[in-house]
Amino acid sequence: MIEIEHLTKRFGETIVVDDVSLTVDEGTIAVFVGTSGAGKSTLLRMINRLIEPSSGRVLIDGQDTMAIPEDDLRHRIGYVIQGYGLFPHRTVIENIATVPRLLGWDAKRIAARVEELLDLFQLDSAEFAAKYPHELSGGQQQRVGVARALAAKPALLLMDEPFGALDPVIRHKAQEDLLAIQRRLGTTIMLVTHDMDEAFHLGDRIAVMDQARLLQYATPAELLTRPAEEFVERLVGTAERPFRLLSLARVKDAIEPGPSQGEPLPVSATLREALSQLVWTGRESLPVTDASGAILGRISIDGILAHGRQPA
Amino acid sequence: MNAISPHTSAPRVASAGAAVSLDRLGGVVAVLIGVALFVAPFVTYRANRIVAGEARMLLDALPMAMAVGVMSVALGVALVAATIRQPILRLSAAALGLAVIFLAVGRAPGFVTPPGNTFARVSPAFGFWLLTLAFALLVADSITRLRLGPFARLAALAVAAAAMAMLLLSGAWDGLSLLKEYATRADSFWREARQHLFLALGSLAAATLVGLPLGMVCYRVPRIKTAILQVLNIIQTIPSIALFGILMVPLSILSAKVPLAAALGIHGIGAAPAFVALFLYSLLPVVANTVVGLEQVPASVVDAARGMGLSKRQRLFQVELPLAFPIILTGIRIVLVQNLGLATVAALIGGGGFGTFVFQGIGQTAIDLVLLGAIPTVALSFMAAVILDAAIDLARGPSRD
Repeated sequence: MIEIEHLTKRFGETIVVDDVSLTVDEGTIAVFVGTSGAGKSTLLRMINRLIEPSSGRVLIDGQDTMAIPEDDLRHRIGYVIQGYGLFPHRTVIENIATVPRLLGWDAKRIAARVEELLDLFQLDSAEFAAKYPHELSGGQQQRVGVARALAAKPALLLMDEPFGALDPVIRHKAQEDLLAIQRRLGTTIMLVTHDMDEAFHLGDRIAVMDQARLLQYATPAELLTRPAEEFVERLVGTAERPFRLLSLARVKDAIEPGPSQGEPLPVSATLREALSQLVWTGRESLPVTDASGAILGRISIDGILAHGRQPA
Repeated sequence: MNAISPHTSAPRVASAGAAVSLDRLGGVVAVLIGVALFVAPFVTYRANRIVAGEARMLLDALPMAMAVGVMSVALGVALVAATIRQPILRLSAAALGLAVIFLAVGRAPGFVTPPGNTFARVSPAFGFWLLTLAFALLVADSITRLRLGPFARLAALAVAAAAMAMLLLSGAWDGLSLLKEYATRADSFWREARQHLFLALGSLAAATLVGLPLGMVCYRVPRIKTAILQVLNIIQTIPSIALFGILMVPLSILSAKVPLAAALGIHGIGAAPAFVALFLYSLLPVVANTVVGLEQVPASVVDAARGMGLSKRQRLFQVELPLAFPIILTGIRIVLVQNLGLATVAALIGGGGFGTFVFQGIGQTAIDLVLLGAIPTVALSFMAAVILDAAIDLARGPSRD
């Protein structure tokens, strides 16, 4: 668990982060959004003390980060930045092995860990191990960057715009991969982005920052239905709001009994995907199936729309 | 159409269809060859080593058959240079041309000198040098166009050096005035060679030992960077003779007041001021390139290294210095080539080196003695440049973007 208590950063007269307090639960993803200059990167960099806080403190599992030597602290926290910062003079393997080597793991253990990560990130070790970063595509570099950050099995992963340099198609795939890996490893992630879709896609909780202050820290659904300030409402996007709500809910939340015609929808699809399919096929309802293909019931336009409505 | 910039390959491909199209650099080379053959003298004949010489054209410098042979080979090279674009063919032609004129010029003394005359001197003249220049241009251009890798370039240099050594050891040139000057000074030649290398390489080593840490400090502490680079810049602008003069004063005082300094051979004149001056000249390239090399390490790489918990020291030695290394090496290349040339001036203040022959030669108006000092200096600089360029390429290798 990460506890941030009254964290503040001043550069001279300017306050960059103003008295921010929040808690990130173990194994969850907290996403920090806001306009550029809102202080979200500074906040993130105070967690691993790349920037020293002016006041306030950060506790990781109850331990004050100021009590840990800064290099030791950083060995325990994964760190991924927008350009990835891969070492251009080192191969993929050597890049991934960076922190384990600093920690003095023996060669066998490092090799096994690197192999495991290459496998996890779907990088064929025969093909990629000996390559240098400039020989990789953007998506591959991104995966190596995350693999490198996870090499020493950190409990916390800090990510500053980790998908910012990817094109939209690859970005979506990379987000899906990150979610899958996060669920598998149970890593706690704090991620900075200015892309609202990304925030709603990845975040268990979303922190909205503006002008150094934390405006709201809540689940995506709360952010949509009960925005704390007008700025949050605007950032969330009034026109996008119902659709975002729909993409947070699943077909199983709106399933109805009864028969229907047409191409069935999987029960795990989001309501947004279901609505999209209904509009596209011109039907009022479609059947719903589970993973094995058995019909569970149906989903209707009315049932879906009820989920996107402003709460009373 | 594409002689000067061999890296744009498109025009070359486009013109490959036309069988005979003029190559710009090749044209220049052909003209040089023509001038060298028909207008300029091939060798100079002098009754003794310091009187004015008389020029001998190629046809008067060699036996008829050989002169015609040389002429046909040279014209053949000119034709290849002007019309054929295949770099391998151009390289072979130029190498053949060099081999032929180098061997031929060794035969000139025997032909030109009256039998039994031991005072007469025969030296290569303008035409010979012009042919050498033309062929060398063609060699350099072909090698650039072939885009040889670093190891291939080193191998080419080794082959050229071995061929030259064989030519000199075979005695084929012993009749030339240059080698006669060498023969009477063989001992001092090698002594001055060692001194020359000591001055150039020793001052480079000292400058690297001091300049690298200084560059790292400048990188870490930007406030002193400007000051240090300014001072080094000013030193760089002092003419070498003036700097030697300036250094004489403090070094004489040091030598007079500190017995240890005098015992170490530090005096107001001699090697010490030359060494110090070369060291000072070397500092700017080493320091400046260290700073630039470190500054061009991408900010994201340094940020990631910090974020992963590399200490300052680990960052410097594992990330920043390795990534700055090719640029630092470029600075060292500049210094080495510069020092090999500047060390010549050391002779003026009794510092020794190849400059000794240059200044003696000027004093005696014996041009061949000047060349005995100048040619090894140029050859050393050239070899140093080729070797370090290859080293820079190798250092850059894997991290090339």
